[in-house]
Amino acid sequence: MKKISLVSSLRAGASCALLVGLLTAGTANAVPSYARQTGVACQGCHTVFPELTPFGRSFKLNAYQIDNLPQVQGITQNKDYELLLNQVPPLSFMFQTSYTKTKTALPDSVNAGDSAQNGQLLFPQQASLFYAGRIAPNLGAFVQITYDSASGTFALDNTELRYAKQVPSVADGLLYGFTMNNNPTVQDVWNSTPAWQAPFDQRSNAALVPGAVTQIDGSLGGAVAGLTAYAWWKNSIYVELGLYRSAPQGFANANGNAGPLDSTNPNGTIVGWAPYWRLAFEHQWDRNSWSVGAYGLSTKTTPPGLSVGSTNDRFNDVALDSQYQFIGDEQIVSVQGTYIKEKQSLDGTILLAAPGAENQKNTLNTFRVGGSYYLRRTYGGALGYFSTTGTSDAIRYAPAALVGFANNSPNSNGWIAELNYLPWQNVKLSLQYIAYQKFNGASSNYDGNGRNASDNNTLYILGWLNF
Amino acid sequence: MKPNVLVPLSIVALACMAPSLHAQDGDAAKVAVQVCASCHGPRGDSISPAFPKIGGQRAEYLEGQLKAFRDRTRADPMAQAYMWGMTSQLGDDMIKKLAAFYSQQKPSKGKSSDPGLMKAGKAIYEAGLPGAKVQACATCHGKDAEGSSAFPRLAGQHSEYVVKQLVLFKSSLREGGNALIMHNISTGMSFEQMEAVAAFLMSK
Repeated sequence: MKKISLVSSLRAGASCALLVGLLTAGTANAVPSYARQTGVACQGCHTVFPELTPFGRSFKLNAYQIDNLPQVQGITQNKDYELLLNQVPPLSFMFQTSYTKTKTALPDSVNAGDSAQNGQLLFPQQASLFYAGRIAPNLGAFVQITYDSASGTFALDNTELRYAKQVPSVADGLLYGFTMNNNPTVQDVWNSTPAWQAPFDQRSNAALVPGAVTQIDGSLGGAVAGLTAYAWWKNSIYVELGLYRSAPQGFANANGNAGPLDSTNPNGTIVGWAPYWRLAFEHQWDRNSWSVGAYGLSTKTTPPGLSVGSTNDRFNDVALDSQYQFIGDEQIVSVQGTYIKEKQSLDGTILLAAPGAENQKNTLNTFRVGGSYYLRRTYGGALGYFSTTGTSDAIRYAPAALVGFANNSPNSNGWIAELNYLPWQNVKLSLQYIAYQKFNGASSNYDGNGRNASDNNTLYILGWLNF
Repeated sequence: MKPNVLVPLSIVALACMAPSLHAQDGDAAKVAVQVCASCHGPRGDSISPAFPKIGGQRAEYLEGQLKAFRDRTRADPMAQAYMWGMTSQLGDDMIKKLAAFYSQQKPSKGKSSDPGLMKAGKAIYEAGLPGAKVQACATCHGKDAEGSSAFPRLAGQHSEYVVKQLVLFKSSLREGGNALIMHNISTGMSFEQMEAVAAFLMSK
């Protein structure tokens, strides 16, 4: 999955998000903690990690409750458990190492006319420690602490706490639960929503990525916290509603305190609570499953530089998604797609001393679709197409060397192709290539300095170990 | 974790906590609904042929298989990947209750497929393949494939699952219990004959 971005693009918008792409990694989640807790091999929950099977979706929605380990336990006089603790904590590690090469080297950041090294080796690309499993009866966690190779520090990555309970008396099962998390859609169980969308969930953190990103597409990860409630009926109908609020990491105000948030919050501050919603329908037959759904997030945000609540931007994201999976013993096929439509009202941004937008209203749309095929969960490949389009804006999408926009347009599109080899279920070796047809508004000379979209085409070799 | 404004709400959520999924005192029905159902369906009526239908299955057979998983004497690939872990903490009492629970569920209805295949399968099921030393399946599994004591019910089972088990018996990847009997029988069967018998059984 995309690693949560620690800096939002609220004010500087696109160019800021682009820098995030340079600084952060794709990330990952097949977590051996769960295998250790359940005694079930990775293939139980994943087609090929991190994509979930129907069993994996059920396990997640049930708050990671299945356990097959000796327990430290305590019961009440009514024989209800008041403590159920795995004797062995559900810990695991992830280590990624990568090699990245762009078609044309990036320029040296200081010495004009010279190039930076092309062919970046990252060791690690990303390294994470997970606590992933049951905490108590009906309560589970997915906690990821990640070493960031750019800053050289550890930080909280994707994290959720989840409570779930089944109502067996309802015919064929009703499950309800709550999840508290720090990245909208990280709690989702279909790999067609932004946090986990295959095959777009992995990318190099040493290459440029397009600058314009919608709010729900990872922009808020790590800068918010939310509580949502969900229900899952007959393994078929899913409903989720929740609220998010700003909760940035690493923020200190002028007093040196973690809060309260004020105009110095570089992420911008959500005013009140941002509603998140999700609907999905899944149908399973034989070895197939198909889901179709919708999701959305509405935020009212004060951009950095303005007093919280004084004048706000509004972002209204509405999205559709769908996923198909065939999971055979020998062959696995899956297809995922999503379309995100964002309406922006930039009332705050245009009032800044240095306005961050020309238009009071903009739209930004993202479409991604991809499919993958695996043979014996060992050899596989994926192909995907991505496109972002939106309103032109002379300030929000201003020209600049390397990270700027042509024609003041946020439009980008291209293809991603991947070959994968898994010698073991918990080790993946990937060869990925991203080809841009359009990058930040144009195919050629998008930055006004002669750099073409295809110059950012990226070869990415990834070694990914979970243990 | 640093405190934030959502903590009060999370406390509200936790206050609603009810008894855990970890069943007390051998509450087999609860385990079945909350754990086994993830793969085998709410009443043992699984959707995916990767997982067998176990609703209405013979209690003796289920008990024997659960013990074989727990003791790791049944060691085919799916057993190792799923059931070794799932059964590792089950006591004999819980195994007996789970077996009883599923044996009391209503079996799912059969599903027809290719008529020619089903007809060929019926013939093998009822009369065996004398030339290949394949006994009639009905001898142990019953006239209507309803099973008998430790011989499992096969009626209505996913055909793909049945074929896979026959292949596993033939290759000796599935051992334990009556696997040796099934190894000797399946050795005389071609893959096509396995598919025919499985198609017939799924239609029952």
